[in-house]
Amino acid sequence: MPVVHVRMDNRLIHGQILVSWNAEFKIHHIIVTNDKVAADPLQVTLLKAVAPIGATVSVLSIKDCVAYCNGPQADNENIFIIAKFPEDGLALVEVGLNMPVLNLGNQAYVRGSKKLSNTVYLTESGVKALKKLHEMGIRITCRMMPPDPASEYWPTVEKRLPDWAK
Amino acid sequence: MVGIVIVCHGDMADGLLDAARMIVGEQEGIAGVSLREMDAVEGLMERVAAAIERVDTGDGTLVLADLFGASPFNASARLAMQGDSKIEVITGVNLPMLLELAVHRDGETLEQLVEIALEAGISGIETLSQALALKTAS
Repeated sequence: MPVVHVRMDNRLIHGQILVSWNAEFKIHHIIVTNDKVAADPLQVTLLKAVAPIGATVSVLSIKDCVAYCNGPQADNENIFIIAKFPEDGLALVEVGLNMPVLNLGNQAYVRGSKKLSNTVYLTESGVKALKKLHEMGIRITCRMMPPDPASEYWPTVEKRLPDWAK
Repeated sequence: MVGIVIVCHGDMADGLLDAARMIVGEQEGIAGVSLREMDAVEGLMERVAAAIERVDTGDGTLVLADLFGASPFNASARLAMQGDSKIEVITGVNLPMLLELAVHRDGETLEQLVEIALEAGISGIETLSQALALKTAS
């Protein structure tokens, strides 16, 4: 399977990805996907500059990311997708990405978000996106590092933020 | 004088500053910024920008980050790439690098300090057995 992991992380490419996750998978291609980031030339330049040895970095819109992953070039690669927010994950699936598992990485505080843990804050719209993904049968996990358990995280979201998860 | 800002994961920046204080004493115009696990890059950028403003006297600022491609570096790099003030970012900060910068800061330009930092940071990594072999051979 070309896409080995799909992670929502609003720090995008950072230490945990370059060190821990890169050691876990033999990543050939990191695709950072978020429409806003893809339209910011400064961030695109910087993200491409931090590619780990042996891997390339692409920064694509959600639509272009799905098109690439469903195209012939993706067959021979291990692709690690990093999007920013749960809403990006939902958009990836709605545009046509086959994604059995969505992993929540760092979701730092943004305005209006509520805390689930030191590393995960979710907004109402983020919770709604996760709910839709859950209802589509997509497994939601919450792993900062590879050794973290891959257990189903949706029940935690439902329990901690019941009003938003309704 | 060129300002220095150390940006690292966890307590490393404070730890480096504390260690440097033991060897070269209290330093002016050096600030530390810590990345905590709950931080967003944007929030970290604001704190690095505030630290740069505190130490920059008009001669530029040297940012020392711990890991290339990690959030402390990313936040600093974005500031350096978009900002109007003179900023250079070096990764792999270690104590030899910081000490050498502390004692050579006066009168050196940002470009000269970059050279000093790279030289000291790399040559500060040594192996006991090699040092023994080289220095006790005669």
